Amino acid sequence: MSSRDHILSRIKAHKPEFIEEPVITLELFMDWKHVKTEFTMKVEIAGGQVFEATSNQNVTEQVSAMFPESKVNFSTLKGTDGFNTINLDAINKPHDLEDLDILILESGLGVAENGAVWIKDSQLPMRVLPFITKHLVVVLRKDAIVTFMHQAYRKLSCDQTDFGVFISGPSKTADIEQSLVIGAHGALSMSVFLV
Amino acid sequence: MSHSKAATIFNKDENKVNWHDKALWFVRHKRDKSVHTVKGWEELRNLGHGIKAHTLSNLDNYLIQFEENAKKNGVQVHWAVDGEEHNKIVHQILKAHQAKKVVKSKSMLTEECHLNPYLEADGIEVIDSDLGERIVQLAKEPPSHIVLPAIHKTKEEVDALFQEHLGTKPCNGDPQYLTGEARKHLREKFIQADAAITGVNFAIADTGGIVVCTNEGNADMGAHLAPVHIACMGVEKLIPKQTHLGVFLRLLARSATGQHITTYSSHFKKPLKGSEMHIVIVDNGRTEQLSRPDFRASLHCIRCGACMNTCPIYRRSGGHSYDATIPGPIGSILSPGKDLKKHSSLPFASTLCGSCSDVCPVKIDIHSQLYKWRQLITKETPQPIIKKTSMKMMGNLFSKPLQFEKVGKVARWSLRNLPKGVINSKPNVWGKERDLPLGPTESFDEWYKKRKKNE
Repeated sequence: MSSRDHILSRIKAHKPEFIEEPVITLELFMDWKHVKTEFTMKVEIAGGQVFEATSNQNVTEQVSAMFPESKVNFSTLKGTDGFNTINLDAINKPHDLEDLDILILESGLGVAENGAVWIKDSQLPMRVLPFITKHLVVVLRKDAIVTFMHQAYRKLSCDQTDFGVFISGPSKTADIEQSLVIGAHGALSMSVFLV
Repeated sequence: MSHSKAATIFNKDENKVNWHDKALWFVRHKRDKSVHTVKGWEELRNLGHGIKAHTLSNLDNYLIQFEENAKKNGVQVHWAVDGEEHNKIVHQILKAHQAKKVVKSKSMLTEECHLNPYLEADGIEVIDSDLGERIVQLAKEPPSHIVLPAIHKTKEEVDALFQEHLGTKPCNGDPQYLTGEARKHLREKFIQADAAITGVNFAIADTGGIVVCTNEGNADMGAHLAPVHIACMGVEKLIPKQTHLGVFLRLLARSATGQHITTYSSHFKKPLKGSEMHIVIVDNGRTEQLSRPDFRASLHCIRCGACMNTCPIYRRSGGHSYDATIPGPIGSILSPGKDLKKHSSLPFASTLCGSCSDVCPVKIDIHSQLYKWRQLITKETPQPIIKKTSMKMMGNLFSKPLQFEKVGKVARWSLRNLPKGVINSKPNVWGKERDLPLGPTESFDEWYKKRKKNE
């Protein structure tokens, strides 16, 4: 018998009697908090920052002012080609992105209860981008924020994404004596621009 | 070595024990603060419990569904009965790619299977990329906590380790500097890696995808840069539907560290074009645990570590005293199922206060299971003679009210009148490191009867 069949047959023999799948009732969790205020607070708790912007152009202007020293920039926003200092098509392997200073991405989904934004393959020219960049900037429409993860997954259920990630704040660690240090392996900072 | 003996060694450094105790209680406190902001938290825990119980009752079919969907996604699925088979599978994949440098993100399963030494024996370099895991790897120690692997190390110890292995400058244990140096050191490893190994937090039957949660971003740095991604999971990591993640991602980080969600919750479904993705599904004793009605709920565990942070024994004895891959209360109900003899002292490393069950995000009845293991162990493994006879004497005493009352009187009198030196003499282990309370003048029984009379 193959290991697969061996494991499956043992589970079949040992599993308990069938137990019904519980139903998730969203109403139990409704706390009627203000979605945008809650989202902003939770991004800040996670170590990120939230700004408002009027247009894509306005986002890149604010970002350039925030990081005047940055050399290697890339944005996926429409009409912001002037901001980009690299051409992704010319990059052969993701490893060459090691020096990326600023990355600007779009997200179509934010979650108020934890300040997370959803980034998916179709908004991501290379999967490693949001992790390898020094500073991550995400542009999110205000009306794309839902209250809870339950609603987020309802939205994602009709979406065929090969890779996607919820990101909440910059990378961090507290592995040395429980002292929080922002900037572990991923981004050193994260800014969300609400439009 | 029994847990209590190992704990005695940890307790030699009193300051460190106090620090350890406080540091973990601080994490427990952060958990409380964060969960108290969630309306319907108890309902959420019920859902977590219910979904896991449902999954176990249909696990074979969900695994088949998961495999089918993962294969459709272009992922290669492997099955391993035990740790050795798991290691062989991973090794073969690496060999096929001539991978000599491997980066690994946190995976308690690969610890359980002792994957690192297995691969290292063939000259493969395995770098643990989670900062805490890298620290204990450099120190040649196992993790002492499943979420905070290096919680037993002081910053000065980390400083010394990094000076020796990474060539850092002395910094009096400055966490900011040390983390920055680790980032540089591991960046290089990510860039050079031939393959990435990750654990799995959740495997989803209806999409065939897996979710990996980290704060550092190390799993993603590894998996997206290397040409091969191998994800290793126990059979119990499965959940039926992607929508169930809504429940588990709300529970996990809040219970673990008090964060509302981890920085990264990465959903891997299809491999990158030109890359390979493998999933290794491992049993290694899990189906055996599934066969035990009293203990199968231990398979609900989502590895948040909340039971460790809250446990008065864990906090004061340290993770290494459990001598098991998973320490703490949850480890103490999992490990005896693997090797009853080796881990027979673990279910006794508890006050049965029940705090572990109270904080468990998937409502595992941990303290009841600890009690049930004790019943089994006392029957099946030889107990120390002192314990055996004293238990017999106590049983005898408790069954005879008159005798109990007499002995009680003597004990209360002794606690009031005998000198401290006699009360705290060596045979009385309860007098070690603490003063016993002054004996009350009357027993509860006497007090109660008096009160009844005066009514």
